[in-house]
Amino acid sequence: MTSVLDGATLTRSAQRSPRRIALIVVSKYGTLIAMAIMIVTFSLGSPRGSFLSANNLLAIVNQSALTAIIACGLTLVLVVGEMDLSIGYNASLAGVLVTGLMASQGVPMIAAIVITLLIGAIVGLFNGFLVTKAGVNAVVATLGVGTILIGMQFGYTAGSPIVLVPPEFKAITLGRIFEVQNSIWIMLLILAVLWVVLNRTPMGQRMQAVGANKHAANLAGVRTDRAKIAAFVMAGTCAAATGILLASLLGSGTVNAGDGYLLDSFAAVFLGAATLRDGEFHIIGTLLGVLVVNVGFNGLSLMGTPTFWQFVFKGGILVLAIALSTVARKYSKV
Amino acid sequence: MPDKRRAREPQTDVPLVSFAGLTKSFGGAMALKNVSFDIRPGAVHGLVGANGAGKSTAIRVLAGVSRPDSGTITIDGSPVVIANPDDASALGLTFIHQEMSLIPGWDVMRNMALGIQPTTQFGIIDWRPMRERAKKVCVRLGIKFSLSTNVDALSTADQWLVLIGRALMRDARLIAMDEPTASLSAHEATRLHTIIRELAAAGTAVVFVSHRLDEVSALCDDITVLKDGAVTRRFVGEQASKAELIRAIVGRDLEIPDHGRDPGPLGPVVLEASNISDRNILRDVSLTLHAGEILGLGGLVGAGRTEFAKVIYGAARPAAGVISLDGRVVHFRSPADAVNAGLGFVPEERRAEALFLARTVDFNVNVAALDSMTPSRLFPFLNLRLGRHRSQEVADLVHVKAPSVLAVVGSLSGGNQQKVVIARWLLNRPKVLILDEPSRGVDVGARAEVHRVIRDLADQGTAVLVVSSDNEELVALCDRVLVMAEGEVTGELVGRAITEDQIISLSFVRESGKEPAA
Repeated sequence: MTSVLDGATLTRSAQRSPRRIALIVVSKYGTLIAMAIMIVTFSLGSPRGSFLSANNLLAIVNQSALTAIIACGLTLVLVVGEMDLSIGYNASLAGVLVTGLMASQGVPMIAAIVITLLIGAIVGLFNGFLVTKAGVNAVVATLGVGTILIGMQFGYTAGSPIVLVPPEFKAITLGRIFEVQNSIWIMLLILAVLWVVLNRTPMGQRMQAVGANKHAANLAGVRTDRAKIAAFVMAGTCAAATGILLASLLGSGTVNAGDGYLLDSFAAVFLGAATLRDGEFHIIGTLLGVLVVNVGFNGLSLMGTPTFWQFVFKGGILVLAIALSTVARKYSKV
Repeated sequence: MPDKRRAREPQTDVPLVSFAGLTKSFGGAMALKNVSFDIRPGAVHGLVGANGAGKSTAIRVLAGVSRPDSGTITIDGSPVVIANPDDASALGLTFIHQEMSLIPGWDVMRNMALGIQPTTQFGIIDWRPMRERAKKVCVRLGIKFSLSTNVDALSTADQWLVLIGRALMRDARLIAMDEPTASLSAHEATRLHTIIRELAAAGTAVVFVSHRLDEVSALCDDITVLKDGAVTRRFVGEQASKAELIRAIVGRDLEIPDHGRDPGPLGPVVLEASNISDRNILRDVSLTLHAGEILGLGGLVGAGRTEFAKVIYGAARPAAGVISLDGRVVHFRSPADAVNAGLGFVPEERRAEALFLARTVDFNVNVAALDSMTPSRLFPFLNLRLGRHRSQEVADLVHVKAPSVLAVVGSLSGGNQQKVVIARWLLNRPKVLILDEPSRGVDVGARAEVHRVIRDLADQGTAVLVVSSDNEELVALCDRVLVMAEGEVTGELVGRAITEDQIISLSFVRESGKEPAA
C-alpha cells in the first residue's frame, strides 16, 4: 500500500546526510564507543593502572555474570514485545529458597538447585498465562506477581537471612576453571543456549515474529501465546539461576537480595538494543550492555568517585540507553 | 457520470499548484525525475502510476514532508518553499490518507477539529465556533451521523467523510487523497465521487491517487501518469480511456485476459463450510471448494466476506456451523491449526496483518513453515542455508523484485510486498489458499503477476478462495463466484455467467428498498 504520508516510511527513506550517518553510528556503536572511552579513561585515571589488570578485568566480568544471565532472560520477554518486572523478586525468592531447602529442609544441593530453577520457571509460566490467556497487561501482571513473590519470601524465612549454607554451595561461585571464575563459565553457557534458542530454533524465530508483528505472526500460523509463554518461562528460569548464584556468592539467602537486578537488567537490555542492531533486542547486545554498566561502575569506584555519582551514572545510562535504542530504530532503517 | 463534469469549466487559468522540474533521489534511486505538472483550482487531478512510480514522493514534497533536490513549486503563480507540514497547512494544502489519520475512540467533532482548536481568552478550547463550523461542513458533505459519534463506530466510507470534513474545517484549497476508494464498496465509492465533484465545483482542487483506473478515468478532469519517477502522460481536461492509462503506466499494452482459464473438470471437494453463523454478521453461510478451483467471494465491503474467510481459517470462531477438510470435520482453534492442516491465508491489510516490515524477505517467507526448516522435531535447529535457498526459490517463482532475499521487506514496493506474502504459502503448497483482496493497492503490472501465480497454483491442484471487492478482478480470475450481502450468500455465478453487472446486482439483492449502486 502506498501510504503517502506515513511519517515512519518517510524518515526511513530520507537522504543519508552526514548528520544522519553520525546519528546511526552513535546509535548503533555508541555503546561500544562509550565502553572504549571508559576503558581508556579508567586505565589512565585509576591508581597504579589497577583498572587494566587481568584480575580487575576478570572481576568486572565476574560481577557482570549474574546480571547478564537475568538480563538475557529478560531479553527474550522484550523480544516477544512484553515486559517482566518480576525477575528481580524472582531472583530474590530463588536465593532464599535454594538456601532454605538445603539449610532447613535438608535437601541435597543439586536437588535444591533443580527445584529452585523449576519454581523460577513456574513463576514465569504463571506470568505467561496471566499475560496471554487472562489478557492482563504485562506490566501490571508481573508487578503483581513480583509483589506476591516478596510476600512468599517473608512467609518462607520469617524475614531473617538463611546463613547455614553448606560450603560446597559457596564453592560454586568461589571456584575457578582455567583461572576463570565459575560464574563466568555458567554465564557463557546460559547465554550460548539463549542465543541458539533465539536465533537458531523455530521457537526463537517465532518469538521474534511475535515481537515484530503479533497479528501477522498469528495469521501466518504462529501460536503467539505459546511463544510468549516460552519467553516468560525462560526469563523466570534465568532469574532463578541468577538468584541461586547470588546466594552462593553472598553465602546466605536474604530477602530482597536480588531485587536490584530489575533495574540493572532493563538498563542492559535497552543499551543492548542500541548496540550493533537497529533497536532490536538481542543477546550479545544485552551482554555488552551489562559489561558497559559494570565497567563504568567499577572504574568510577576505583577512581574514588563519590557513591552518589555512581548512581547518577547508573540511572543516567538507563535513560540514555532507551533514548539510543529509540533513535537507532528510527534512523537506521533503509 | 463522466459527462457531468464537462458542464463546468475551472474558473481561472492560473494553476493553484505548479510543479516545475522537481527532482528527488533517495540514495542512488531517482524517485522523481524532472517532474512538471499543474494542479488547477476547481479540478479533480488524478495521479496514477505503478507502485514506486513517484506518486507518493510527489505528494510528500507538496506536503512538506520531503524536500526536492531541485525544481520549484509555485502556488498562485508565486514560488514557495514548503519546508514542513505546517507550511503546507498554512498554504491551505491538506492531505488525507486512510491509515492513522483518525484518532480512534474520539468522536467526530474532536477528530474534525484536530489541530485547529481556537481557545478562549483563558486558554481553554472554545468549542462553540468549532461546532458551528463543523455543522456547516456536515451539511455540505451530507453527513447524517451526529458529531458526537465515536469514529470507531463509523463505516470506512463515513470515516473518509470525517477526514474530508477535517480538511474543510481548515478551509482547504487543495485536498490530496491517497487511495480513498481502496476499501470502499462500489456504492460507497460512488457517493464519495459525488462529494469530490461537489468540492471541485466549489473551487477546491482535489488530488486523487488511485489504482482503480475506471474511476480515475470517469472522475478526474486532469490526469498525470508517472512511471519510474517521470511523467509519461498528462491529460489536461481531456478524456483518458482506461487502455490509454494502462499503456502510460506500464509503458506497453498489457493483456488483460477476458476470462481466466479453462478450469477443466472439477477436482474432488477439498473444503466444505456448511451453515456458518457468527455472533455479528454471518448467517448460515456455506461454500464448497474443489481442488484446482478458483472460487471468488464477491459483495460489498461489510458483507461478511472477510469474517467468513477468517472463520474458515480459524482466525475467528463460528457460533454455529461445520467445516470439513477432505471430508473430515475440523475445528480450527487458531490459524496455526489451519496452517498445519494445509491452509494458507493472504490477509487484506498486508502491512498490518501479514508482514514483518523490518525483517528480510527470507524471514517473512520462512516464518510460516519453520518446523520444516529443521532436521527433525528432536533436533529443532534451523538450517539457515536451506531456508535461504527455498525462500529464494519461491520468491523467484512469484517474481519478487528485490536485491536479494536478505532485503528488508519494508523497503519493497506494495506489489512486491504482496508477492512476498503469497510466496510464503508456496513453500508448503497448501491444499487451500485464501486470499483477501489480493491486488488491493497493487499496481497493474504486479496485479497481473499475482493473478498468474494464483492461476498456476490452481492448475497444480490448490483450491483457491479469492475475496475481492474489485469485481473486474473476480470476473478475470474466478471459475465460480459466490456473492454475499449482509452476511448471507445471495447467489452463485459460474463461468461465463460471471459478469460485473451480475455481481453488483447480487451484492445489493437484500437492499431492495434502497437505491441501487450503479
